[in-house]
Amino acid sequence: MFHWLEKNPFFFSVGVFLVIAFAGLIEILPNFAEASRPVAGLRPYTVLELAGKEVYKKDQCIACHSQLIRPFKAETDRYGQYSLSGEYAYDRPFLWGSKRTGPDLHRVGNYRTTDWHENHMWEPTSVVPGSIMPAYKHQFTNIADIETAYAEAVTVKNVFATPYGDDIKAGPEAWAAYEPKVLAEAQKIADQMKNENVKEAVAAGKVPEVVALIAYLNSLGTSRYEAKK
Amino acid sequence: MNALMAKGLLFAAILIGATIYVVKSMNIDLSDPINLITMIGAIAIAGLSVGVSIKYINQMKTDTAGGELAEENWDGIGEYKNELPSGWAYSFLGTMIWALWYWTIGFPVNGYSQIGEWNKEVKAYNAKFEELHKNPSADQLKEMGESIFLVQCAPCHGTTGDGLSGKAQDFTHRMSEGQILATIEKGSNQLGYPMGAMPPMMATGQDAKDIAKYIAGGMKGEQPASFAACASCHGPDGKGMAGMAPNLSGYDDTLVGKVVKNGKKGSIGTMPAFHDRMTPVQVKSLSAYIQTVKGE
Repeated sequence: MFHWLEKNPFFFSVGVFLVIAFAGLIEILPNFAEASRPVAGLRPYTVLELAGKEVYKKDQCIACHSQLIRPFKAETDRYGQYSLSGEYAYDRPFLWGSKRTGPDLHRVGNYRTTDWHENHMWEPTSVVPGSIMPAYKHQFTNIADIETAYAEAVTVKNVFATPYGDDIKAGPEAWAAYEPKVLAEAQKIADQMKNENVKEAVAAGKVPEVVALIAYLNSLGTSRYEAKK
Repeated sequence: MNALMAKGLLFAAILIGATIYVVKSMNIDLSDPINLITMIGAIAIAGLSVGVSIKYINQMKTDTAGGELAEENWDGIGEYKNELPSGWAYSFLGTMIWALWYWTIGFPVNGYSQIGEWNKEVKAYNAKFEELHKNPSADQLKEMGESIFLVQCAPCHGTTGDGLSGKAQDFTHRMSEGQILATIEKGSNQLGYPMGAMPPMMATGQDAKDIAKYIAGGMKGEQPASFAACASCHGPDGKGMAGMAPNLSGYDDTLVGKVVKNGKKGSIGTMPAFHDRMTPVQVKSLSAYIQTVKGE
């Protein structure tokens, strides 16, 4: 029936293209669907949270932790409400992960607190006996790169129209004006922590990685959009 | 019967024998239809593979080329005109039509909802749960509470409920002196008890210390006179007047329920609310378990 196709490379290619394009449409079109728009009231990550997200990536939390709660009762019982695609709208890139050596973290902001994270990052077994997670003590001394995080915010604002305020714009003056806001946010976290080095560093205008990471972890969950309801 | 056939039958016999040996040695229960069907399937696969192989090996040995060549040939390599059997062609067209039906009418592409399935699953589970735990016994509650505690609470309060050396509330006692003093100093309005907010500085100085010592000591011995300031809301026995104010002498269902619902911010740190993660029966069981956590 299609014998003639074998003698016509052009039309054969067109046929192959059509078949593959159909599969592509099925995969790509849903990403443009309404469900993939940001969920109502979702705010983008703050600069401090973006810096924390970088720490999350740098220390490869994704190797053991996922950020995607599937709609199964066993998962929603343990981790909270199932994830919606619109919640990842400002995740560039999303950090779904594919391996759960540790628990899922997509709602960790709902049920863990700054002081818990501090204890846990310093020595996981102090709060979770039998935990095999390594300690991340270097995060208490390493300084997070909030400047690059600010640049990231500027970039996603300009390129992807992420709804940041007018105070986030390119240029050293804009950053100088914005930096105190980041430090104030870090100060709030540090106030709830016990580690003296961290408190001193934040008071001196530096943000240890653990502070940024905790800000990011606290933002994971429903607080980024429920607050506006 | 030729040599090939004999070898094939021998091979098939070995395969079938091995299948039966595995079934026997693993004590597989053949009264379970799934196991039985699987075994029959394995035997059928062994028989069919050997039979089909014999047919094609014989055909390779004896067949010669025949048929009509197609027009085109590539450097002398030709192709027989080998029309698709019409049955295959019609079934192929049939599956295409069926696929269109499947995508558009049968099970439309957007007709399946994972969330819908989740809703159904949760509804069915909750109904079953309610049915099963309509009248839980004390032991059942305690057991359920323990398992919930280990998953939801243990990461902060420790698997034994001792609060991990001050990282969270220690359930072996009600409150420490430090916690009581902090609450007296700052007041409290977090849990939504009918009595409302507790104002700060109801007692000061030595009075506050006396109260703290008395409550932290398990409310035993002589009650300090200054406890009157507490008794007006928490009751003379400190038990919270049947749910009007927090129980100071121990944990009860009301207290655990309200903390789970509202979370708590105290001198130790912040506890988030867990209200959407437990059913009322589960909260009750959690309370039952926490009340059994006792210090040495």
